Amino acid sequence: MTALGLVARFVHLSASILIVGSAALILLAGRSDRPTALAWESRVGALTRALVWLALLAGIVVLAHQAATLESRAAAALEPAALARVALETRFGHVWLVRQGLLLLLGVFVSLRFDVRRAVDWRAARAETALLGALALAALAAAGHAAAVEPSAAAAIAADVGHVLAAGVWAGALPALVLLLRVASRDAGADARPYAVLAARRFSRAALALVLALLGTGVLIAVVQVGSVGALLGTRYGRLLVLKLVLVLAALAAAALGRGRLLPALGGEAVTVGRPAMRRLAGSVAVEAACVLAILGVVTALGVSPPARHEQPDWPLGFRLALGALADTPDGWPFVLVGSQIAILGLVAALCSLALRAARLPLLAGGGVLVLAGLAMAVPPFATDAYPTTYQRPAVPYQAASIAAGAALYARDCVSCHGPAGAGDGAAARAFSPPPPDLRAHHAALHTAGDLYWWITHGRRAMPAFGHLEPDQRWSLVNYLRALGTADAVRRLGAVVEPDRPRLVAPDFAFTVGPTPPRALRDYRGARIVLVVLYTLPASRSRLAELAARYELLVPLGVEVIAVPTDATPDAIKRLGAEPRVFFPVVTDGAPEIVTTYALLTPGPHVEFLVDRQGYLRAVEAAPRGTERLLQNVHALNEEKVSVAPPAEHVH
Amino acid sequence: MAVWQVVVLLDLALALGVGGGYLWWGRQVERLQSEVVEARAAAAGPREYRAEGVIRAVLPEVGVVVITHDEITGYMPAMTMGFRAVSPKIYEAVQVGDAVRFTLGGTPPNLAITAIDKLGR
Repeated sequence: MTALGLVARFVHLSASILIVGSAALILLAGRSDRPTALAWESRVGALTRALVWLALLAGIVVLAHQAATLESRAAAALEPAALARVALETRFGHVWLVRQGLLLLLGVFVSLRFDVRRAVDWRAARAETALLGALALAALAAAGHAAAVEPSAAAAIAADVGHVLAAGVWAGALPALVLLLRVASRDAGADARPYAVLAARRFSRAALALVLALLGTGVLIAVVQVGSVGALLGTRYGRLLVLKLVLVLAALAAAALGRGRLLPALGGEAVTVGRPAMRRLAGSVAVEAACVLAILGVVTALGVSPPARHEQPDWPLGFRLALGALADTPDGWPFVLVGSQIAILGLVAALCSLALRAARLPLLAGGGVLVLAGLAMAVPPFATDAYPTTYQRPAVPYQAASIAAGAALYARDCVSCHGPAGAGDGAAARAFSPPPPDLRAHHAALHTAGDLYWWITHGRRAMPAFGHLEPDQRWSLVNYLRALGTADAVRRLGAVVEPDRPRLVAPDFAFTVGPTPPRALRDYRGARIVLVVLYTLPASRSRLAELAARYELLVPLGVEVIAVPTDATPDAIKRLGAEPRVFFPVVTDGAPEIVTTYALLTPGPHVEFLVDRQGYLRAVEAAPRGTERLLQNVHALNEEKVSVAPPAEHVH
Repeated sequence: MAVWQVVVLLDLALALGVGGGYLWWGRQVERLQSEVVEARAAAAGPREYRAEGVIRAVLPEVGVVVITHDEITGYMPAMTMGFRAVSPKIYEAVQVGDAVRFTLGGTPPNLAITAIDKLGR
């Protein structure tokens, strides 16, 4: 069933692309009155008619398969009611209706076989075929992965439309070109040889622009749908994309070899001139077309795979490249410097080969060898250990609840060796040589969350495995370690907002005020500056009164104050009393986790954390007095040009 | 009829179809919007809303109770704000920090608290 659906999608896509390409090639080559050329044109016309009906038929199978998939029962594929539901009530169905309608129109149009002896009629008929085919093909993009891109689906769809149209004109034209070159290279087809040469030259010129457009839009789409190296090699979608790239390179190599050498050898009106070259060119274009067919197969598989961005990547290699790795291996520097120089030398040699026709091949080969040798020298120092989970995102968000859970687990299982603050100075640490590493230092820069997860799960060197913990617990430990690293950096954060400090993500937390539904710190992102106040009564009473009195000024400046009692209680608001009047949120539920997490960053009975509109910690002050500095900080944040993106949902 | 004329007619029909579809869609949206407006207009007149919240302050000098409340469905999102009470009796029994369920009555935007009940906590 699935195989049938895939085959139908493949046939549908290939036919749609061939229709557009054939029509485009005929338009590109122009009109000819040579009998062989006319015979070729009518053969392509017959092929187009067959392809349109084939595409329509395959389209119906695709709809049936979609119905069976959506209702998760095979019988739905044959039920009219289920088919109508898919066609009328889903986006896929709407696009399907439009496309089938256009294809039907095209089918009727090409079946009428108009009399096109007049030039204007010929042009109109051929252009209409191309137009209807292109419209039907472009509509594909509106139901693909691009339509699900948030927040700019329109841009993603536009890139997809450009991609499929360029692919249609380039890839779809290849079989028709093969046909033309074949008939023209025969004895009987000699009259069409100048026409074939013209068609090949014009197509070759157009193909260069089309392939560039394909690469450009392809890169855009890949960035949106894959987004990272981990996802490229670690997910099915990403690996299919790599396979597609390899096939594209093969097709381009065939094209470059064929066009570069054979195209100039064509030409001349005489019967014998250029004939072998034309036959060989037909062969190389056929190889190109075969690659394209394989590419379309991969594209079909891509279309039904979830985009890499939404998958947890499973990294296949034992290493990965990271800039930070070099910091750990200072003796790698000379290799990097010398290797990169050699590679650049090779690149220059390769570029020179383009200009110097005489010594092109040796220069190119030598340059290639130099580039490879240089890379072989320069790249290894950047390699660092990697594991299957290296690029996985924490399954549990970086939130106070998870960090607090991680803190409890750390205190139970880890503290004896790694020490209370992660410095590697636990009671049992002396037994190890080398000692446990300092978890606060550069683990954040060099190791991904997935690395830490792997080590917790499988152990490392003297460290035992903690695979018996639930996955969520292990991710919570990873989140706790991230918070430990943040705590180390917060110590260097002052009470004054400074623009150039590294951005530290304020751990998110959920909280409630009275019987109202829970809110989260991240709800304020993009909207408000937040002052998170950890307070302890009665010592904090005067400070809270100060903030309460200034609240009327803080709100119009874009500040929200969230007061978190260190001794959490549902009565927190009542305990503050009726005077002074406190109107900002006072957390009555969720406080212990928040206090555990934020006390880890800066301990104290009263600490205030200033979080900017992107969700980064910007200033921390224990037991502040007066609101002058707060107002200055808020002013600085309000004046600041936002140049840093808000934190991603996950750590890298 | 010449082929090019057929093609021009066909393209015109396509453009008309697309344009007509777009206009129809626009009309549909307009109709929905006007329905919403009508529904809003029909809703004018005295209304009653219920919501839960926590008392943040009682200001007897102006007859106002400040409440941090959750979303008042169909009226306003969750926030902290002051509501007029129809009579001082309403806030006699509550104090700051009490979790309450309250009722707003009147013709928007002139709403006032008509009842406050403490939530058992």
